Amino acid sequence: MIEVKNVKMTYGKKQNAFVALEDINFTIPDGASVAILGKSGSGKSTLMHAMSGLDRPEQGQVIVDGQDILTLKEKQIDKFRASKIGFIFQSFFVQANETVSDNVSLPLEIADVSWGERKKKIRAALESVDLLDKIGNKAKNLSGGQKQRLAVARAIVNEPQIIFADEPTGNLDSVTGEKVEDMLFGYNKENGVTLIIVTHDPDLAAKCDIQINIKDGRIESIRDTNEVEAVAEVVADDAPTDAESDGEEA
Amino acid sequence: MKYIDTIKRAGRSLKNAKARTLLTSLAIGVGAFTITLSLAAGEGGKSYTDQIVNANTSRTELLVTKKQPVSSQGPQVYDENAVSGAAGAGSATQIAFLSQADLATIAKQDNVKTVTPNYRPSVRYITSEAGKKFVVDSIAAFSSSVTGAYAAGTVDGGLSSSEIIVPEEYSKSLGFNSPQDAIGKTVSIRADKLSSPVTAPESKDFNYTIKAVSSKSGLAFRTQASVQLSADATRDLYTYINQGTRAYGNFLLAAVEINNASQANDVKAALQAKGFEAQTAEDLLGTVNTFINVLLGIVIGFGALAVLTSVFGIINTQYISVLERTQQIGLMKALGMRRRDVGRLFKLEAAWIGFLGGAIGAGLAVIAGTVANPFISKALNIGDISLLSFNPFAVGGVVIGLMLVAVVSGILPARKASKLDPIEALRTE
Repeated sequence: MIEVKNVKMTYGKKQNAFVALEDINFTIPDGASVAILGKSGSGKSTLMHAMSGLDRPEQGQVIVDGQDILTLKEKQIDKFRASKIGFIFQSFFVQANETVSDNVSLPLEIADVSWGERKKKIRAALESVDLLDKIGNKAKNLSGGQKQRLAVARAIVNEPQIIFADEPTGNLDSVTGEKVEDMLFGYNKENGVTLIIVTHDPDLAAKCDIQINIKDGRIESIRDTNEVEAVAEVVADDAPTDAESDGEEA
Repeated sequence: MKYIDTIKRAGRSLKNAKARTLLTSLAIGVGAFTITLSLAAGEGGKSYTDQIVNANTSRTELLVTKKQPVSSQGPQVYDENAVSGAAGAGSATQIAFLSQADLATIAKQDNVKTVTPNYRPSVRYITSEAGKKFVVDSIAAFSSSVTGAYAAGTVDGGLSSSEIIVPEEYSKSLGFNSPQDAIGKTVSIRADKLSSPVTAPESKDFNYTIKAVSSKSGLAFRTQASVQLSADATRDLYTYINQGTRAYGNFLLAAVEINNASQANDVKAALQAKGFEAQTAEDLLGTVNTFINVLLGIVIGFGALAVLTSVFGIINTQYISVLERTQQIGLMKALGMRRRDVGRLFKLEAAWIGFLGGAIGAGLAVIAGTVANPFISKALNIGDISLLSFNPFAVGGVVIGLMLVAVVSGILPARKASKLDPIEALRTE
């Protein structure tokens, strides 16, 4: 379970201060698929950074499995990310000059996984994204879709609890994008891994259990397709008052 | 992250930028080349001087003289026991000679095995059956502890008092077709008895069988031009020539054989305390070695300068590498790689560059040195001695040292990499 409480983040100082996130509260149950939906500059990526321990909000709590990760020291946050989190980025960030196998191996090396186990895990991860036949190829020889599948393999190889995907299909055509989406949702359902997708694409967001709409650094609405009633309550509480009163410039 | 994984990743990153890696390491390679060659020359130079020592004297031999009167302003105070000038010819300065009593004192010294005065008999000429007569520059006493080079014959069994060793040049002049031809032939040396009255000069011929012909050597200064006789034969000659003169029994120099080379300095000190001057083999070559060391220092200095230059090359390359790989670093940090490990990755890359440069430079130096050695030996006329001698430990030391230098130069770029903010690094827009 991930609980986000009262998170506030500001960039810059004094007059130039820009509130990137404010008054962010929500809870994500284990195994859910969540879309953080918003336009560019809305603060959705910042929220992802805060939730994954990449960034530190100056206020609030991000509680993962009962542990507030914002109180952790840098070393412990690194360990937390290495052992519990997988990342997928819009621009893939696969290492073009390295082999497919070496790309997938990176999180395992960082997490100090032993040699024998590494080999097994790499094969399993590549198998599940259908790239096992490319194991010895250089990543630069892969197509865009294959690269993103490679990134998916890298994200799941160490069996994380949470996968963050930042616009995972943004650089892909709709057919290959769909394939990657299917892989992500399939993995989410089969393994009970929490999947958090940051996107501006409502169609992709609609496939998720929970949609969190972000606008100007605030939660505009939260929709839970499974428990519409429960979430509607939250929306009634928060959304109308905040959305109008603060006129922040993006 | 495991060390071995970091090393592998570092190696792979360098492989992906082959040209740049190679060029950067070549800079360090120049330093490695220079330093390796200098060290080899130092090593070779030392073994060269060592061989000079062995060819001219032995480490168990000390050359002893009487302590000479200190020259001061004003006329020298006359010393009853000192002999004036060479062989007492009445010169302005007095030279203190070793008397028989002195020799006895030296012989009684601890650890002294034998004392052989430097007889240096001056003879009229040397001749063979062919009849031509030649002047003898010097006659030296044969010493088995001095390594000589021979064109023909052997002196392994020592030299008896009726045998002689002649230099190669003499054997030719004396009418022998080849050094081999001279072995076993008889030569005769004419000596004048100095004490005989001018009106009735007395001379005598001493006959010797040629045991060996000494060859010219780049190392031997003492024996090169000397006709060598056994110690006994030298003494006999000396006695015949000088007996009855004032100088008889007084020697400028004596060779003192000691039991063990390690005692050389102790014996030297003891002899100095008793009014003698003693020179060990090391003293003799100290100057040569100092000269070699100064030269080496200069060359190594140039090597160090090259290394210093390459340090900036490494810093520069690694900085650019960090900038180029911002995304990769960001990704690694996002995936939970620790600062320390990111820094280590870049330091290890620098270490790889250092290793490569060191290995290339040192390797080329070894190859170049091995190829050049015969030519150098020939040019300097030092026989089959290698002036460049490569010690594997020294070569390894150079490579390891340069790796350390590279790691130190990699510290700054590595710090930059480890401090990189992953969010900033992963921002693609």
